[in-house]
Amino acid sequence: MFWGSSMADFRSHLIFRRDAALKTRTRARGGLMSICFALGFAMVALRLVTLGIVPGDETLRPKWSQLSSAVHRPDIVDRQGRMLATDILAGSLFANPSRVTDVDTTVEQLATVLKDIKPKVLRKRLEGEGKFAWVARELTPRQQARLHALGLPGLDFVQEAHRVYPAGATASHVLGFVDVDNRGLAGMEKYVDRTGGASSTPSASEEGPSPVRLSVDLSVQHAVHAELADAMKRYKAKAAAGLVLDVHSGEIVALASLPDYDPNRRKQALDKNRFNRVTSGVYEMGSVFKVFTTAGALDSGVTSLDKGYDATHPLKVASFTINDFHAKRRWLSVPEIFIYSSNIGSAKMALDMGRKRHKAFLGRLGLLSRMETEMGPTASPIVPKNWSRLNTITIAFGHGVSVTPLQLASGAATLVNGGYAINPTFLARSREEARIQAKRVIKLQTSDLMRYLLRLNVQKGSGRRADIAGYRVGGKTGTAEKVVNGRYSRSALMTSFLGMFPMDAPEYLVLVVLDEPQRVAETKGQATAGLNAAPTVGRIVERIGPMLGVTPVLERKRKRFDEHVRASY
Amino acid sequence: MFAGPIEAPRLSFGEKLIAFNWVFVLLISCLACVGAVALYSVAGGAFDPWAETHVIRYCLGLGLLFGVALTDIRIWVRLAYPVYMLALALLVAVPLVGVEAGGAKRWLQIGSFGFQPAELMKVALVLALARYYEWLPAKYISNPLALMVPVLMIMVPVGLVVMQPDLGTAVLFAAVGGGLLFLAGASWIYFVFGIVGVVGAIPFVWSFLHDYQKARVLTFIDPGKDPLGAGYHILQSKIAVGSGGVTGKGYMQGTQSQLNFLPEKHTDFIFTMFAEEMGFVGSVSLLLIYLLVLLSIVYMAVRCRSQFARLVAAGVGITLFVYVFINVAMVMGLVPVVGVPLPLVSYGGTSMITLMFGFGLVLNAHVHRRTQFRRHEIRGV
Repeated sequence: MFWGSSMADFRSHLIFRRDAALKTRTRARGGLMSICFALGFAMVALRLVTLGIVPGDETLRPKWSQLSSAVHRPDIVDRQGRMLATDILAGSLFANPSRVTDVDTTVEQLATVLKDIKPKVLRKRLEGEGKFAWVARELTPRQQARLHALGLPGLDFVQEAHRVYPAGATASHVLGFVDVDNRGLAGMEKYVDRTGGASSTPSASEEGPSPVRLSVDLSVQHAVHAELADAMKRYKAKAAAGLVLDVHSGEIVALASLPDYDPNRRKQALDKNRFNRVTSGVYEMGSVFKVFTTAGALDSGVTSLDKGYDATHPLKVASFTINDFHAKRRWLSVPEIFIYSSNIGSAKMALDMGRKRHKAFLGRLGLLSRMETEMGPTASPIVPKNWSRLNTITIAFGHGVSVTPLQLASGAATLVNGGYAINPTFLARSREEARIQAKRVIKLQTSDLMRYLLRLNVQKGSGRRADIAGYRVGGKTGTAEKVVNGRYSRSALMTSFLGMFPMDAPEYLVLVVLDEPQRVAETKGQATAGLNAAPTVGRIVERIGPMLGVTPVLERKRKRFDEHVRASY
Repeated sequence: MFAGPIEAPRLSFGEKLIAFNWVFVLLISCLACVGAVALYSVAGGAFDPWAETHVIRYCLGLGLLFGVALTDIRIWVRLAYPVYMLALALLVAVPLVGVEAGGAKRWLQIGSFGFQPAELMKVALVLALARYYEWLPAKYISNPLALMVPVLMIMVPVGLVVMQPDLGTAVLFAAVGGGLLFLAGASWIYFVFGIVGVVGAIPFVWSFLHDYQKARVLTFIDPGKDPLGAGYHILQSKIAVGSGGVTGKGYMQGTQSQLNFLPEKHTDFIFTMFAEEMGFVGSVSLLLIYLLVLLSIVYMAVRCRSQFARLVAAGVGITLFVYVFINVAMVMGLVPVVGVPLPLVSYGGTSMITLMFGFGLVLNAHVHRRTQFRRHEIRGV
């Protein structure tokens, strides 16, 4: 018993010692395990932090380049470097429809922010197949913040380049517009795309691609735009178009065609009535065309300022009778034909020139073929297939050939700039650069005579209302009857005024075209160009003359010039 | 008999209460309260249907805990093997007579009472392993033959639950078993080989996985693969956790949770909702409570004199850790979704019973920390 007991005791003692060793080891390993527990929790806590810092998982989010089809574009600035179009980054909302859990709730919530999208449309987008659908693009920062705050699953934002036009509609027809993917669809925006200015990746350099500098001057553009809008209202016209052209450099300093659109709202631009009438509309310009007839006859030497034509009787050609609007029923000198805008006289001058020379002359001025500009070719002029004698007669006073106002302006610039054909441009360039590619197409002397005749017409003829003190405006009116249902209409008129200034050394050409101006009280119940288009040009010159740095000349000097003119016929 | 230092006196009821770890009970009650608060929010600000039941279950669980803790430890020693055998038998019975639910056979139907043998095994495995090492003389601890027995004791239930299939529970068994072998003092070498072996076995195991299990793993690797199906949980969960920020959106203000974007937010994904509403501060605080519970379990374990008590307490500790870690890591996309509840916070009766039973065992070990067993006491079965 004792033995056994002491044996048991001894054995127990051994067990105890072994247990003690075991306990130490277990304790050490227990400590290790505690550290593992703590580490495991620390790892989880770290994950909490990363989830909080980066909402959602970045790797799950498609890359920008995979998502956005928007391209980056260079800025467009006016000739003085003022911003006309620029890219900003705007949020666009897209959905992964397969991750949108509750379409009803999501649509309901989205509709509270995206008020201009119908819930039905939203629903359709969210219920689409696949993993990607645009919900709304080009969000305002406020909209984006509010959408973000909704915290809806399956939706995410991407920052896209988005075009903005700070000047709004002012230069819309020059700038054109872009589509939702920021690709140029019209105007100089299209030119940027065509010349490779737009890229799908942001520019590598800090400042981005160098801006495209236009020939347009925002201040002049604004004045022209405002005056055309005013004229449209004043004369109740359906449309108004106009441009200002630097006759020496070919630069288009301003171009407007109303109704126009705000390029920031591209839907407006799709309205057919808002097209660019200056480059895409072709019109029978009417009497304005007589500047070419007169210039052609003078240039070809068939006539001179001291020659005269018999305008006593209407001209009968086949079954047509050509009459004068301001009929004098007498012989008229060439300056008189010009300032009284005699159809008979003009027709006779053209006939003197002959069909071929007349056509060739118009062709040299670029009036019979499409004109290439940065915006692409202008609309095709409508030219008679078989240029008959009758055509020569009607074209002499502006009927039978339809051209774009831009071509008319460009051709007219040649008449007063010393005789050079200079292709108009929307990009800024110097007069020296233009001179290099300029082609002389008429004699310097003819150009001088045309300056004189144009000035004379404003002083004495139909263009009197365009005469702005100090700016020596010259010009020619044109009132064309529009063709309505295949017939010339007496009531639907298209009036225009082709003006230049200052006439002693012309620098700028201003063309205004009004579509169907009405016989309003202001124009004494008339609707001819001298009463609406001419004063509009006058108002434009009055505003833009100082902007363009044209020095006004004192009244006294003008009178002397007047006397000189009077003495000449 | 000789009454030496290894005499194991039976403790009176009063002694047991004095030896009781009341701080621990306070800590786990905190967790249950967090659970009730969260469930109140999940229900949109109502005790019904979850918060109230949760509290009642916890109170019943407390009763169970006290019962288990205050029972003499020798009873648990003696019951260890029989309970393990019973659990094993029931696990074997599952594929034969079990009830299928959601593509898996995990349940046994006894009358109107559904029962998961795997839950019983969670406790039984800990008890049986502890019992084995109580018996095994220390010098044999790293003996390969002596190691084979506990490895088998672990692998058989692991194999059975993998076949059910229940990946989460299998991982739990393996982790608890491995952890206990480690704590018991088996040589490092085995664990190095063991880890290498497990990694090597992955391709082999992969071929045995069910399609839905494969899908879960694949979806874990790339949740975008199946955002509406298996990946949905993880994605929504991550969004919610991330949107909580530092201080959270405020109690009952979690948009993801309150707007029903989160699935199973009252059970396995309750942490997500908690993180969204309470933010980083709240989540870390909750994790700290768990860490305190874990550390106090480890502390209680290492103070025990008997290997059985030590390992039982540690085994429950490992179980708790695996639960918490897998659950939290799962909702944050760190590990695949395996369907593990957040202990004492998630709504669910079964896990509550298992856990409270386990905690009861921990406290039992603590109460009997000075107890050592005589050979005949453990030779009983």
